[in-house]
Amino acid sequence: MIQAIADSLAAAALGLPLTLAIWLAGVGTGLAAGFVIGAVRFFAPAALTWPLATAVEAVRGTPFLVQCFLLYFGGPFIGIDLSPILAGWVALSVYGAAYFSEVFRAGFMAVPPGQLEAARLLGLSRPQAVLRIMLPMMALAVLPSLVNLAVILIKETAVLSIITVPELTFRVQGVGSATFAFAETTLVLALVYWALVEATAWASRHAERRIARALAA
Amino acid sequence: MAPMLAVRALERRVGDVEILRRIDLDVMPGEAIGVIGPSGSGKSSLLRCIAGLDPISGGTVLVEGRVARPGDGAIGMVFQQFNLWPHLTARENVALALRLVRKMPAAAAQAKAEAALARVGLAALAGRKPAALSGGQQQRVAIARTLAMEPRVLLFDEPTAALDPELTTEVLDVIRDLAQAGTTMLVVSHEMGFIARLSTRVVFLDHGVVVQAAPPAELFGTQAEPRVRGFLQTYLDRVAWARDA
Repeated sequence: MIQAIADSLAAAALGLPLTLAIWLAGVGTGLAAGFVIGAVRFFAPAALTWPLATAVEAVRGTPFLVQCFLLYFGGPFIGIDLSPILAGWVALSVYGAAYFSEVFRAGFMAVPPGQLEAARLLGLSRPQAVLRIMLPMMALAVLPSLVNLAVILIKETAVLSIITVPELTFRVQGVGSATFAFAETTLVLALVYWALVEATAWASRHAERRIARALAA
Repeated sequence: MAPMLAVRALERRVGDVEILRRIDLDVMPGEAIGVIGPSGSGKSSLLRCIAGLDPISGGTVLVEGRVARPGDGAIGMVFQQFNLWPHLTARENVALALRLVRKMPAAAAQAKAEAALARVGLAALAGRKPAALSGGQQQRVAIARTLAMEPRVLLFDEPTAALDPELTTEVLDVIRDLAQAGTTMLVVSHEMGFIARLSTRVVFLDHGVVVQAAPPAELFGTQAEPRVRGFLQTYLDRVAWARDA
């Protein structure tokens, strides 16, 4: 049993860098794409944005596991043939973007119109008002939700083991399959994810406070 | 003398609802016009249409003979909810438009912002963000922000409705000083005593119509139209009730 736990920890150490890398990359592109989608859906007329809205709803309405299967196993049928790691990054980005976009859209909606009317009356152009007033005010409002979502996405990376991305879960499960010590390996896996989530949540809250301080009082 | 602000046959409709019906109003340079009336009578809509924030369905609004557009510097407005930008200090709130719109260098904009804040008695608090200011102080920053752009006409939309009596007084003092300095202004307020003292003329609006426009001595006196008298009576009854209690 001790051996299985030790092997699991060694496997976890092997898989951890890829889990972190794919998480950071997915959160990065997810945030960027989510911001663009949220902004387009807020600023453009609804008649133009319904395809985006439908896509966001489709991603939010289906399990991440199914999305990974569709991309990795279904993709080749329409000419999208990605390596496991690339497919994992794309899947996580798309999944994150859908949720991030809704947070950004809500953030845009949360900026009181009065603050923008004041800017307009003082002569600020629309881009100036968006850049100098709307975005900083929105950033403050959405920061906690973004951080929360990003931390949740760490756990979703475990699903990528299904499409053979050699990340944390994939590596540790490998030990389980080889030794049949499933209980021990799964326990190690759970504890490692928990520690990871606690660490990123702590770091994120720290960053969140610093950003909030920089933006407001 | 030509009016500073000329409102002609101003109309605003939203669907079938007539918010403002053919409002005519001339405001001479240096005049302080008090605008009173029941809630929903169109007072705020009148100011918002003059400022260009709400679209008008008919008529014209001219400042010094020209059609004013939002942001051209002709009209400044102070809102009930202050509408300060929470991520900027008082100084930055005032200086932002000076830099971005007036294209002033940062140092000059800061200096002008501080002068505007000093005018409303807030020089010492220029470095604070809105969250660290009282409601009255926030409203005075909002006034300074508008003043710094040197508008020709200043609009106050219930500037003290969100404030307690003490804070109300500090804001009203600033508005009174501005009126005494000759600022052309329209003030929407339910502070009847203040409107009576401040205004050169008072406009009573009801259902989007100017029921009476007269010097305060007339409108608050025996020459009030019946509808105006009815409105003011509820206010006087409350004062009497409180006094006799």
